[in-house]
Amino acid sequence: MIRILLQRLLELIPTALVIVAASFALVRLAPGSPFSSEREIPPEVRQKLEAKYGFDKPLPEQFIRYLGNLLRGDLGLSTKYPQRTVNEIIANGFPVTLSLAAIALLWSLLVGITAGIIGAIRQNTVWDHVAMTAALVGISVPSFVLGPLLVLTVSLRLHLLPPAGWGDWQHVVLPGLTLGTIYAASIARLTRGGMLEVVRSDFIRTARAKGLSESLIVWRHMLRGGLLPVVSYLGPAVASMLTGSVVVEKIFNVPGIGPYFVDAAFNRDYFLVMGIVLLYAFFLLLMNLVVDVVYGFLDPRVDVS
Amino acid sequence: MVVLLFWLKVIALKVTLGRCVTLLFMAASLQLCGCQQQQSPYFGTVEPRHGPEELWINNSSEPEWLDPGRCSDSTGGEIIWNTFEGLVQAHPATLKPLPAIATHWDISDDGRTYTFYLRPSVWSDGHDLTAHDFVFALRRLVDPQTGSKYASNGFIFQEGLAISRGDAAVETLGVQAIDTHTLEITLVDPLPYFLNFLSFYSFMPLPEHLFQDLQNRGIDSDLWTRPEYVVCNGAFRMTDWRFRQHMTFEKNKSYWDAASVKLDRIRVAMVESATTAMNMYVAGEFDWPGGSTSLPAEFMDHLKEYQDFHSHPYLGVYFYWINTEEPPLDDPLVRRALSLAIDRDSLVQFVTRGGQHGSADLVPDGLAGYKGLHIPVYNPVKARQLLAEAGYATGQDLPLVTLSFNTSEGHKQVAEAIQAMWQQELGITVELANQEWKVFLANAEQTNFQICRMGWIGDYADPYTFLELLTSDCGNNHSNWSSTTYDTMLEQANQQHDAEERLRMLREAEAFALHEQPLIPLYVYTRTQLIKPYVRGIWGNHQDRHPWKYMWIDESFDPHDLMVGAGKNVFEDGQVPQ
Repeated sequence: MIRILLQRLLELIPTALVIVAASFALVRLAPGSPFSSEREIPPEVRQKLEAKYGFDKPLPEQFIRYLGNLLRGDLGLSTKYPQRTVNEIIANGFPVTLSLAAIALLWSLLVGITAGIIGAIRQNTVWDHVAMTAALVGISVPSFVLGPLLVLTVSLRLHLLPPAGWGDWQHVVLPGLTLGTIYAASIARLTRGGMLEVVRSDFIRTARAKGLSESLIVWRHMLRGGLLPVVSYLGPAVASMLTGSVVVEKIFNVPGIGPYFVDAAFNRDYFLVMGIVLLYAFFLLLMNLVVDVVYGFLDPRVDVS
Repeated sequence: MVVLLFWLKVIALKVTLGRCVTLLFMAASLQLCGCQQQQSPYFGTVEPRHGPEELWINNSSEPEWLDPGRCSDSTGGEIIWNTFEGLVQAHPATLKPLPAIATHWDISDDGRTYTFYLRPSVWSDGHDLTAHDFVFALRRLVDPQTGSKYASNGFIFQEGLAISRGDAAVETLGVQAIDTHTLEITLVDPLPYFLNFLSFYSFMPLPEHLFQDLQNRGIDSDLWTRPEYVVCNGAFRMTDWRFRQHMTFEKNKSYWDAASVKLDRIRVAMVESATTAMNMYVAGEFDWPGGSTSLPAEFMDHLKEYQDFHSHPYLGVYFYWINTEEPPLDDPLVRRALSLAIDRDSLVQFVTRGGQHGSADLVPDGLAGYKGLHIPVYNPVKARQLLAEAGYATGQDLPLVTLSFNTSEGHKQVAEAIQAMWQQELGITVELANQEWKVFLANAEQTNFQICRMGWIGDYADPYTFLELLTSDCGNNHSNWSSTTYDTMLEQANQQHDAEERLRMLREAEAFALHEQPLIPLYVYTRTQLIKPYVRGIWGNHQDRHPWKYMWIDESFDPHDLMVGAGKNVFEDGQVPQ
């Protein structure tokens, strides 16, 4: 098992290299410069700034130098925030984005799986319809609608939670709900579908024939099989919660790294764009790996190796 | 039967859900009108969420630099103005230069040499502040090694430009310390606006001793503005800086005018979204969403009805550059026709809606005593005449023209309105092209456009800050238009000692340039603000500069006394320094 994991991790290296090369090329091919602004900068000053960041060197040399720095764990300097290194910016923002994603994940699992189970074991009852219609609404309402609606009702009307900001637990709730709801909805539908698929299978019939209690059948057998589609969905879902928090982080002014994904590209903050792309790519690859491993535990038919 | 029951259930469910959604929207819209229901003349809560010694404000985004010598953005400038103090400070209402670190000054007969006499004062770490700290700061500003984007502000000093190009030693700069408390500044031209400009953030003194100290300790001196190191001489000192969240400032007890500073603490958040900042204001998380935060245009009509809404003119002009080398816009008649066909009053009333002032002049009227040109803002008949004179009997004869702007809802709406006006009045077909910001800038720099939108914010209260845009060697002139006549007119005006005569000469130059129409001015900016009625000591001024040192919380304001006008006089109230 460990050997296979190591092998999979080693396979990540060439993928990562391709990602670095491709994103480096793309970001440098984009027209415009990190130092252009509405106001002209004296040419001497511009040269000085370009030399500081090494942008005056030929591109291949810059790329090799970037790779060298990357191996040492140095992601470079930000041009937009010249007093911060990219490492520092990520170290500041990533834990925030992670905790936001964690809350969103918890919320989506809690609500999604509960609604899914209810839908499956009470199939075609009013409970099922309520749960699944709610899920349909949840999937259909984008976060830029849900977020402001929550702010209007919960914060500005009922004065229960602050409308934006970051610092204590009260600030996490609304962005967490906003980010998690759309996933909760998908998870509910996947859980229901997955469980309905196994509900008629032989091993459930066998379990019933053995005289197992209904709750034991649901928790031990049906859920385990029913959660398989959810598990394979969770990998990309977690990755997309991390990368897709841009809108939520903007609405609630959460100081995570979401907005950089867009802003850094707009600002041509080359090293910051690269840093964030690499981080996201790493997480995406890691999540896929984790899903494969977890799959092996849940479904005896899947052989990880 | 079962199927029927099922569908009935589904329908019932849909109705219920539909109701839920409707209720939710009703709740949302009720919130917007909620204040009106309670007859409150204020937008959101009016009970301060903190003590009278504190203020919570917003400064829109994480500043690039807090280093006066390197800063080039308004969010950084806002912090620098309140943590550093230069030779002079701007009056919070009129912006006239007032003594600050300099108690008084002499001006030579030719208007080029200023001698400043400094008061004894100290840095926040107790070190004496001397004339040498100014010399150090201004040399550093123009030194090419610094890489300051605003190095050009130092080109007004003798040898500033040569030093920046590496042609002269920094020691030759026209800023010299006569003794520890006397500073002599020699200018290239006798600029009448020099004292006003001198309060700009680029000209603050710097603690040379701190730079040396950091270097001795092996710390990168670029990091000197971080709260753990920073030494300043202004009204407030930064004590905490959470990246992209908020900063905390405490009163600087070593500040020379500390007795006038009323607040002990200011919390400055960095909220970029205008809507989020407005929500936080409603909830009382901000007492003032800050000078640099604009209010969302779609709420403007609604917000205008509240007592805590304020607006004032701002020293900025929104205009369209024209590439004067590319036909058919190489003909000044066509360019003037385009300008005259724009109904600017409708544009500001129905499109921008923020109380802007439609104007076809480049220099805002009344700026530092300047009498604006008052070019007609709309004359379609004359516009058609000019177009016919240029050889285009109808607008359809004119080749397709492209108007480009950087991607933004606001710029798009303005461009669409003008596209429609040109189509309607002149029959000209205009194609719109929106471009991502950096692409747009790269195209503007190379004049790779036919017409493109731009805005210009004046750095100082003098017409020259706008007129300079059209000079031949100005790097911000993107029109390809240049005229030695115009350059000479401006040069001669700047050599003129008599202030009134100078303004008259500048006016002539503006009229000359706008007759050629290398750009089409559209409107003069306004700043719109929400300020809680219990906050005092904020004045509206056209450079949007609001020193925190005069701000205070009025404890006598009664939030339950919601009579109209109870807190209306924020912009006029308070003690104005003499």
